[in-house]
Amino acid sequence: MRFVEEFRDRELGRAAAAEILGLVEPGRHYKLMEVCGGHTHSIYKYGVDDLLPANVELVHGPGCPVCVIPMGRVDDGIALAHTDGVIFTCFGDMMRVPGSRGSLLEAKAQGADVRMVYSPLDALRIAKSNPAREVVFFAVGFETTAPSTALTLRRARAERVANFSVMCSHVTIVPPLRALLESPDLRLDGFIGPGHVSTIVGGRPFEFIPADYGKPVVIAGFEPLDILQAIAMILRQLNQGRCRVENQYTRVVPYEGNRRALEVMAEVFELRPHFEWRGLGFISHSGLRLSEAYAEFDAERRFSVPGVRVADPKACQCGEVLKGVIKPWECKVFGTACTPERPIGTCMVSSEGACAAYYNYGRFARQRAAV
Amino acid sequence: MTVVRVDPVRGLALCADADGERVTVDVALIGSVGVGARVLVHAGTALAALG
Repeated sequence: MRFVEEFRDRELGRAAAAEILGLVEPGRHYKLMEVCGGHTHSIYKYGVDDLLPANVELVHGPGCPVCVIPMGRVDDGIALAHTDGVIFTCFGDMMRVPGSRGSLLEAKAQGADVRMVYSPLDALRIAKSNPAREVVFFAVGFETTAPSTALTLRRARAERVANFSVMCSHVTIVPPLRALLESPDLRLDGFIGPGHVSTIVGGRPFEFIPADYGKPVVIAGFEPLDILQAIAMILRQLNQGRCRVENQYTRVVPYEGNRRALEVMAEVFELRPHFEWRGLGFISHSGLRLSEAYAEFDAERRFSVPGVRVADPKACQCGEVLKGVIKPWECKVFGTACTPERPIGTCMVSSEGACAAYYNYGRFARQRAAV
Repeated sequence: MTVVRVDPVRGLALCADADGERVTVDVALIGSVGVGARVLVHAGTALAALG
């Protein structure tokens, strides 16, 4: 299929890997963070890190919106799901995320009407088909997904669908990146920038990274050749002493972002003063809620939710994985007490979670030599 | 995904994935799109037109 297969070409992959090998300075260690969980997934699925010399280390970032949802927020969703008359809708990944007393999937098994949807449009369709029921959509995701929720709310208003509401848990990508850059735990050399978030926000929001922290950023696509090319572009910047935001994913990402998406988001959402991230604590101005103009669709105003903060299980090290401090296999419970079938933490649940990606693909990685 | 049919009045398109599965997609973010166009879709919304 066009725009896919040519970016998975094996010979071109080998050529890109050889180019990277030529760019690596012998004895120098490069630590690059891929921000987006989709990149982590591709890296392990296609064995991208197998093609890199050992002194190019990829560190996994917090760009998995399901992974960063705190347990208390899951509990809020489950409470809504158990409310009389409510049909609770969410993306598939969210159904298995553990709360303090089980997951949405377990709530469904207990009799709550929880339904998996592919999009907020699907949730709106359910609301129109069930006018006597209240339909709540659990909105999760970064700026890639938030416009979809915003457009659906515009439709709900235009079509006067009064029995539809949204439990908004959208988050934004820049604040956690800033928090990571301020952290003494991590010393990174550069960033593989989030490809699909950037289709919405463009490249400008990431310019603070080279400007304030002196690290290059290359926005990358999700096919293996995209990632390899982005790594080569970062190494080239580092070797040349340059530091800027570059766009490898030009076939999809406009540097100025998507104006229509930014406008509808500004209309429908506002920033929360702070928002809790699993494993990362509270981060200022990092979460979205519905604006006053759309308050009628806010599930947290329409219903009562517990809003209780819940600590992660002691055994869970998702926070350290999300910050890139440890690799999945360095977590004490990885692959033993915590597996995709019986997850303790979110990183093992989501398709974009680093632990799930490594469990499914990375356990077969080969040894790499350093240059 | 590939655009199969367009509903310009409602700003929606019927799109098919590589396996032929069809879904309704909101195309409000990418402006006008024609049958046969390849689009990048996420959570039921077209984020970009390809090519």
